[in-house]
Amino acid sequence: MEFGWAPEQEQYRERVKAALDELLPADWDETYVPESYASDLQVHFSREFCAKLAERGLLVPHWPREYGGNESPDWEHFILGEEMKGAGEPRGPQYMNVNWIGPTLMAYGSEAQKDQHVKGIASGKVIWCQGFSEPNAGTDLAALRTRAERDGDHYVVNGSKIWTSYARTADWCFLLARTGPTRKDISILLVPMDTPGISITSFPGVIKDGHLNEVFFTDVRVPVQNRVGEEGEAWKIVTYALSYERVGVPRYHTGLLALELAVEQLKAEGRWDDDPIVRSRAGSIAARFEGARLLTYRVIDQRVHRLPATTDANLSRIASLEAVSDLMNFLGEFVPDCLAGGDPLLEDYYRINIPAGITGGTNEIQLDLVAQRGLGLPRG
Amino acid sequence: MDFQLSEDQEALVSALQSILQDHAELPQAERFSYSYFNADLQRLLGESGFLGAARDIGPLEAALVTIETARLPVLVETAATGLVAPMLLPADGPVDGPVALIAGGAIGKAHRNLPIARTALVDLGEDVAVLTIDPADVEPVASILAYPYGRFRAIPDLAAARRLPGAGARLRQWWRVALAAEVAGAAQAALDFTLDYVKQRQVFGRPVGSFQSVQHRLVQCHAHAQSTYYLALRAAWSGEAVDADCAASLAQQGVQKLLFDLHQFHGGMGVTTEHLLHFWLYRIRALQAEAGGVHGIGLEIAGRMWPAATQATGADAAPQIAEAG
Repeated sequence: MEFGWAPEQEQYRERVKAALDELLPADWDETYVPESYASDLQVHFSREFCAKLAERGLLVPHWPREYGGNESPDWEHFILGEEMKGAGEPRGPQYMNVNWIGPTLMAYGSEAQKDQHVKGIASGKVIWCQGFSEPNAGTDLAALRTRAERDGDHYVVNGSKIWTSYARTADWCFLLARTGPTRKDISILLVPMDTPGISITSFPGVIKDGHLNEVFFTDVRVPVQNRVGEEGEAWKIVTYALSYERVGVPRYHTGLLALELAVEQLKAEGRWDDDPIVRSRAGSIAARFEGARLLTYRVIDQRVHRLPATTDANLSRIASLEAVSDLMNFLGEFVPDCLAGGDPLLEDYYRINIPAGITGGTNEIQLDLVAQRGLGLPRG
Repeated sequence: MDFQLSEDQEALVSALQSILQDHAELPQAERFSYSYFNADLQRLLGESGFLGAARDIGPLEAALVTIETARLPVLVETAATGLVAPMLLPADGPVDGPVALIAGGAIGKAHRNLPIARTALVDLGEDVAVLTIDPADVEPVASILAYPYGRFRAIPDLAAARRLPGAGARLRQWWRVALAAEVAGAAQAALDFTLDYVKQRQVFGRPVGSFQSVQHRLVQCHAHAQSTYYLALRAAWSGEAVDADCAASLAQQGVQKLLFDLHQFHGGMGVTTEHLLHFWLYRIRALQAEAGGVHGIGLEIAGRMWPAATQATGADAAPQIAEAG
């Protein structure tokens, strides 16, 4: 057991940081980050940025060589993700592409799909959105109602998706649609977002722009060859896909960076040195993030050792979320102007994290999973 | 980065567990005690070399010993004896144990483990005093906290004691690692005990543990125990003061939730001494305020991570005790 970084891992982190320094515009923090990574501005920027990352071998280094990767170690892939998130995620929505859409298509896509989409993702120029949630099917995804009915060599899709981040700017949608009568008769379709019959409505909210979209499908014709895997195989494939997102966003990393910004502001305003309560609270929150960090690293370590997946990934998300909640409360109590004309980076942090317990798997479901599968408690 | 125990570490833990299994039972006469110190097991651990792990192998292995022994309902003192003292006094050879750790500013009050101690390390802020303890000088103090407590019949003369100049910060650092390791082991044992209970105990025709309101809180306790475990081991591995602070801070931050929730899920049984729960919970409670407590340690973390021009690290948490006593 040891907890340090190997020299090559530290060098890799420095290489990623150097690439960020080189590729991000001088006004990145001032102009881009406050808009948030789902904004049209950042999504457009990501096409340019990810293409350059690809040229430097930093977009899909963890992928197999036959798909343009370098089969880099799991820790390097993770370090890359930490640094990108810490910089405000200049990959925009393309983190999804490289983390799970690409690998899922490698495993389940047809040769034609691999040729088109996996290559497209590796080029860094294609934007995807995720067509999962619906107005009446979020956490309970199997309740989704969007239907895809077979009509010759096409499916005809009708229904709607909601909370579809990046929908306005996406080229493709990774869509889940019902293709049969039972709860689990769901299939995956790859749908070009410029297909006739698709319309998008954006609506305002307390989180940052770009996430709150509703996508309507009205008699949208999708070729059968755009289906991934067999009809009704969506659950198996989505389970596989999500195994690539086991630990999710490294919230301890972004959290500690935000906490540091808050401390800098408190110092500059003379509210740090003489206020032991503020300092103590900040220190306690840092400890919570450090705990969450180690639970997250444990999951990566299990992957490195090729151990079977457990609910430890869910546990790491739970611990991270508690620390995030503490930090948001700290900001609300001691740095309230972050939501009223103060530091735009802190505002961005706060607003991105308002749905932190909902996105990527609702916290209550994470708790259920750990309770029942991890701790062996009986179902109610 | 490697979160798996090495083969040698696995062997150490496995050998330790095989000894502990034979001594986990409480004697019938101690069935209703608030704490029970097993002197035979303490001696056996010393003779078997487990209390020398910090010197012979390293502090991470000593922390593993503390975590494992903290899982027992019976008490042995491995945290201060096997981890703190060897890290503070590396040149001394084995210290006469058990060792008690004492905050100098409160020397007149009751102290954890003082009735069983042969040596005490007293935190004077900047310095450390090393006291040899004669049991005749200690008056036992009754407490529900699951350690033997006692106070000095007469305040010892710290000025005459052996003094370790400038060792206070190092004492607090390893005290924090040790208390985090102890909380990690005790919390995990209390949680395991509770999980067994809520799977069996029926209310309204179903197990207590099938209620979502119970499940979610148990998972949060589990997250706390697991985080504390890794933070304690990282702090032992790195020897970095800030890692020790984070480990102890998190350990102590979770005390409120652990105590409330685990008591709650045992209902009336959990408040009786015939139920074992109190052995772990009131060890955790006893550790809540030590080595600075959440507030003091939070200040130290802030001081290390974001030092202020006017702020000396640790100044808030550990004022110098000029001549305590």
